[in-house]
Amino acid sequence: MAEKKKRNISFPRFAEYNCAFKYITEQALDARYVMPPVLTKRTMELGAKYSPDFVCTPFKTILGSMIEALEAGADTLFMTHGLCRLGYYGELLEQILRDLGYQFDFINLSDYDMSKKKEYLRIVRRFDPKVNPARFLAQFMEGVRMVEYLDEITAEYYQNCGFDTTGGDYRRAYQDFLTAMYTARGRRDVEEGYRAAKRALRAVPLDKPQRPLKVGIAGEFYTVMDPFSNLELEQKLAEMRVEIHRWMNVTNQFIHHGGQKNMHVKVKDLCAYEMGPTATANIWWARECAERRFDGLIHIKSASCTPEIDVMPVLQNISADYKIPVLYLTYDAQTSDVGLMTRLEAFYDMIDMRKKVL
Amino acid sequence: MEHAYLGIDVGSISTKGVIIDKDNKILSSQYIWTQGDPIGAVKELVRLLEGQFDKEHYKIVATGATGSARKLVGTILGATMVKNEITAHAVGTTAFYPDVRTILEIGGQDSKIILVENGVAVDYAMNTLCAAGTGAFLSSQAKRLGIEVEEIGEYALRSSHPTQIAARCTVFAESDLVHKIQMGHPREDIIAGVCNAVASNYLNNVGKGKKIVSPVVFQGGVSKNKGVVAAFERTLGCKVIVDENGHLMGALGAAILARKGSKRQEFDFSIENIDFRTREANCDGCSNRCEIICVYRGEELIDAWGNRCERGAKVH
Repeated sequence: MAEKKKRNISFPRFAEYNCAFKYITEQALDARYVMPPVLTKRTMELGAKYSPDFVCTPFKTILGSMIEALEAGADTLFMTHGLCRLGYYGELLEQILRDLGYQFDFINLSDYDMSKKKEYLRIVRRFDPKVNPARFLAQFMEGVRMVEYLDEITAEYYQNCGFDTTGGDYRRAYQDFLTAMYTARGRRDVEEGYRAAKRALRAVPLDKPQRPLKVGIAGEFYTVMDPFSNLELEQKLAEMRVEIHRWMNVTNQFIHHGGQKNMHVKVKDLCAYEMGPTATANIWWARECAERRFDGLIHIKSASCTPEIDVMPVLQNISADYKIPVLYLTYDAQTSDVGLMTRLEAFYDMIDMRKKVL
Repeated sequence: MEHAYLGIDVGSISTKGVIIDKDNKILSSQYIWTQGDPIGAVKELVRLLEGQFDKEHYKIVATGATGSARKLVGTILGATMVKNEITAHAVGTTAFYPDVRTILEIGGQDSKIILVENGVAVDYAMNTLCAAGTGAFLSSQAKRLGIEVEEIGEYALRSSHPTQIAARCTVFAESDLVHKIQMGHPREDIIAGVCNAVASNYLNNVGKGKKIVSPVVFQGGVSKNKGVVAAFERTLGCKVIVDENGHLMGALGAAILARKGSKRQEFDFSIENIDFRTREANCDGCSNRCEIICVYRGEELIDAWGNRCERGAKVH
């Protein structure tokens, strides 16, 4: 009897979360995962070439990454839904890829009513009609746990990596953790990888001053988290011996809300309405950074991101009220980091000199 | 032998250099066009500075480089301090104007605003994706109107009814300007309109959401344009200070930072006859194809950058 033909599923590159997509695909759906190549200039060129010019940069990156996944042998693409233009992106991506002549199955969360639990099973059955829901759920939850670990370790990494005294052990420990997550094949691998990373990071000697410079990072969902898209802003700034604090990640935004329920009530005095997918969280986090007396805040968005443009006037008010400098960065499909370095170095000099005087 | 400090600011349009003594007194200064050749411009600049410099009494013990070509120029000069132009401008200006609260800066390709409190920069903004309202716009419009960019200010001040010019975007501003010329508006009025457009574009984009407090210092190449200065004074309703050395502030800041820095390296003006060369190499380690710039002094590789991982190290 011929072996059942397995699906080759892919999801575009997004920060380091693809390790969890891979885990869920392989362990919960019993399908193959096609890892899209690491994002490079080629990805961006491909995406920009076939995208509408004025669409936001994440669309271009995602399209490029999907093309590279199809080239690598994917036959099923998965796309998320969203509360801004992202909600329409799935449909548009599918159309562009079909016009380019690719053959594939496209599963788009925007086609489903995500407020109904029943719909979730329908989605899973699209991938695998014979799925065992109990087994799926158990493995899916392990994938979610991997995301939680990934976000926890990543946050710890960027808060400390600038103070590494060994010239790279801290970074290597983080890389080893990522490798462990990308190659995990079961619950034990995930748990052991996490614990080993915790130990390894703690073992590296750090040279951190009593009051290090602390910078909060806020901004648009994709660009703020994806190092390729923000030209490795966090790494660059951390290496100037700065503690980086970014609240926005998949764990905080979707799984735990970082212990911050009813966020829109907390920022009611700053904005009366929900302005988009991440606006409320970013406004809340910006004030949180100001109240925690951080030395600065960086706001990141891709060009033409309307929800984040709406956030900026509120951040200007926070900046004036709390006297916290805010650096606004807009990213487009550029891949040169010269301009970014000028602005980051100046921002660093400013908050550093300011701290010495205040 | 007294100590002196060299500061060089290589921008997109012009290259500036100063030599100062320990009290920030300018011993020698120069301003020339970059003309798309930063290495050539710096050699020429150093030659001109040497001509004004009193080698009997002073020696240069530290060198600072700033501006968009700071990395390249810093490597060539063996600079002891390489700093971004925003910090250099803030340091330069606060050294001469300790009370300054707002620094407006418009250069050839970029524009920035720096807010200062107690002599320290506390907030800044810089134009990001668009070069509207910078020196490059002014010089291209001067060319269109058949006058020298240096004359713009005189023309603008003669106008009593500046023409309204849509300033949101250089491309739109330019077509609006052409329409107004063809309608028959006098040249003075159009030029005054362009100056107003530069000021309002700057305040609406770079200065958006920033509280501009007096004393205000205006610098960068465009600060030499009296029309733009007048437009700023009218819009802001306060006096705008333009230093006679405003165009040199970046270089002055670089020299001051070099003086304050701990590194010392004597500079002897001998770069003129040395052959510097750059080579661009593409790494084929992955599909990112990093563009790596290698800098050679004669045949010797002195520095390289643009590489993002260890795979690129074998290229140079």
